[in-house]
Amino acid sequence: MTTLWDTNGTAVVKELAAQRRTGGAVLSGVALTLVVVADESRVTEAEEAATHAAEMHPCRILVVVRRQIEAPAPRLDAEVLIGGRLGPGEAVVMRMYGRLGLHAESVVLPLLAADAPVVAWWHAAPPERLAHDALAVFADRRITDSSIADDPLTALKTRATDYAPGDTDLAWTRSTAWRTILASSLDSVSGRRGEPVHVLSGRIEGDPANPTAQLMAGWLSTRCGCAIEVQEGGRKPGASGVDSVVLQLDQKEEVAIHADRKGGAVISQPYRPDTGVALPERALGDLLAEELRRLDTDEPYRDALEAATGVGGLADRSAVREHVWLDPAEEPNGSKPRKRAAAAKDSAGS
Amino acid sequence: MIPNPLRDPRDRRLPRVPEPCALVVFGITGDLARKKLLPAVYDLANRGLLPTNFALLGFARRDWDDQDFAELSRDAAREHARTPWREEVWEQLAADITFVQGSFDDDNAFDQLASTLADLEGSQGIGGNAAFYLSIPPAMFPVVLKQMQRTGMAESTPDRWRRVVVEKPFGEDLPSSRALNELVDSVFSADDVFRIDHYLGKETVQNLMALRFANTLFEPIWNGHHVDSVQITMAEDVGIGGRSQFYEKTGAARDVLQNHLLQLLALTAMEEPVEFSAEEIRTEKLKVLRAISVPEDKETFAVRGQYEQGWLAGQRAIGYRQEDGVDAKSKTETFAAVRLGVETRRWAGVPFYLRTGKRLPRRVTEIALSFKRAPHLPFADTDTEELGNNQLVVRVQPDEGVTLKFGSKVPGSVMEVRDVSMDFLYGEQFTESSPEAYERLLLDVLLGDATLFPRNAEVEASWAVIDPLEEFWAGTTPHPYRAGEWGPRAADEMLAAEGRRWRRP
Repeated sequence: MTTLWDTNGTAVVKELAAQRRTGGAVLSGVALTLVVVADESRVTEAEEAATHAAEMHPCRILVVVRRQIEAPAPRLDAEVLIGGRLGPGEAVVMRMYGRLGLHAESVVLPLLAADAPVVAWWHAAPPERLAHDALAVFADRRITDSSIADDPLTALKTRATDYAPGDTDLAWTRSTAWRTILASSLDSVSGRRGEPVHVLSGRIEGDPANPTAQLMAGWLSTRCGCAIEVQEGGRKPGASGVDSVVLQLDQKEEVAIHADRKGGAVISQPYRPDTGVALPERALGDLLAEELRRLDTDEPYRDALEAATGVGGLADRSAVREHVWLDPAEEPNGSKPRKRAAAAKDSAGS
Repeated sequence: MIPNPLRDPRDRRLPRVPEPCALVVFGITGDLARKKLLPAVYDLANRGLLPTNFALLGFARRDWDDQDFAELSRDAAREHARTPWREEVWEQLAADITFVQGSFDDDNAFDQLASTLADLEGSQGIGGNAAFYLSIPPAMFPVVLKQMQRTGMAESTPDRWRRVVVEKPFGEDLPSSRALNELVDSVFSADDVFRIDHYLGKETVQNLMALRFANTLFEPIWNGHHVDSVQITMAEDVGIGGRSQFYEKTGAARDVLQNHLLQLLALTAMEEPVEFSAEEIRTEKLKVLRAISVPEDKETFAVRGQYEQGWLAGQRAIGYRQEDGVDAKSKTETFAAVRLGVETRRWAGVPFYLRTGKRLPRRVTEIALSFKRAPHLPFADTDTEELGNNQLVVRVQPDEGVTLKFGSKVPGSVMEVRDVSMDFLYGEQFTESSPEAYERLLLDVLLGDATLFPRNAEVEASWAVIDPLEEFWAGTTPHPYRAGEWGPRAADEMLAAEGRRWRRP
């Protein structure tokens, strides 16, 4: 590991190359570059998750931490690691101060693995429009996490307004385990009947303010063709915000799934005894690894997001974003830029 | 699959999960069941890939109650599981596990097994579907299969499926494998028989098909015009362990050559399947297996070896004949190397050198394609002295990945070309977290996906290759080699006879 203080992008590129040469064949074969944009307070968490994901998808990890955007002099500190804290691969952790934070791409672009897909992940509040961040413009896939916002539902709506193919949100990833159980429960109903199943209505009990629960409701609504809503449940649900799902099927049958809060769920279905299945809380790294598995457009997410937020026309959005320059200092009367500067200050201060 | 509104082909996040079913394991207390099967079942449960209604039924002779059995399976799963241990997952799984005690010739025990299974249909909601895993010596097959037939457990009906999983060895020669196939097929229908060759569950082997058929780069040169020879090696550094009784009767050719190596050869040499489906892949593999020719001059091109005492990895290793339970004059081989041909337009004239052995310097399995030398080199002879054949190596284990070996200029003021290799390596961790072969294969059995399982015709075609070799070897004494060497000298001479040499893996 080498730490470069008050350095520049060229020196970082040189150092990475030098470490690759002296470090021997540590890891050859990189499937993608993962750009992690993190707040200072969340860097450790993000590093841990990225390391875990990199174990499954060999990648180059570039961590970008923007600090003190109002600092008078721009400055770059970088840590170059190969086969160290961030797993067996190549990783660079960069802390950018002052105006450099607005031009992070100038450091990141030469560090991308040649001709490999780029995934950008914000483990921080993402810009209101991803196009404001140049890192989002050249990324092939953009991962946000609405659940870390102060108001997750507004954050989810913002994502829908800003949606472009290739966007995805970890709030959606958190629903996979639930969705798997729901789909296989209906498989077993249709398997028993030997004919198709229709869902007539249903309800989700849990936390209506949770974006994962809302996306689940959106998904169920689009797949089943009936409105399914999230209702306040009696018990406090886990990270997925879902405590139970009940689906009314045709032929007067009902399938119900309740989280048992011991890392499992109980499935109740007609003609079969209640059964328990595993429904563990998944770690952040696990969620990220699932995202890296596929890099093309996630249509089911798009449909669920549309249904959950009521923002229409997502299927017609262009996959190409163009960078929109937004300078927090130049727009004294705009409220958005100020928010962004404040956010940067907050993260730097912690 | 019957339509389900929640299933969306675009939704690739949702895994394929089998229908409700039971897994019945005969010989649940055996080594394989403890080290591979139970951990694989736990790993599947942990990854949420088991159906919501699932039951595991263990059958063995030992006199155990459910408590003992639960204890044993917990320890086994915990010790050998690949994924992190989660007590709550195990507890849910443990509730689905039942043990039935009895010997294989005991009618009562099988009646009890059948009734337990029928009970589970209701209590666990498994809907009558069941897979039977025969983790028992092949000699027991007839008894167990007849018992299953007698109790009607083996019948698939439109409402339920019944499948059987068989481990190698699939017989010991062509007639015995035919007899075994007939026996199994008389009880189960051919589509319901899954023969496990765990090599085919490995990521790299599946990747071989991706490498060949998803790229444009390799297929044009994947033929006799460009390929000079192919070497397929499966080397083990261990001896026979405690399996002397089994090994004395089997030997390296039957144990490894007949199944793993010929399957790897088939995947390397086969034509492109019409589609990536079980049926089409088997069709192509079968064509290759049937096109294999055995050498005329077996004295030179079919070599057996047996390890003598030596040093391996800094430790003294005893010879095969000194192993426990081995005849002091044993003529069983622990090493086999053979030159095969594939008589098709694509491969005519290209030798396929296959070798396998125990107590070789390291554990490694690889497929190496050696390409013809360039027809003309514009360099002086002295410039290219160190240039060998270009090679493409698919490393199956360990260090799963692909190596390309080609000539490159030595830096400096003179023109000098030497071989360098370019490596693609799945990250160490990547392979560790990719599913264990058994996990993948078990899931495929429950899903009814037969892509990675050889069919009886393939097994018989493989025996048709091995039988003439065994016939030639019968009564001869294998060439001795020291433990820790790359096989007997005769194996090196075999390649030297055609001006080639073994690649050191």
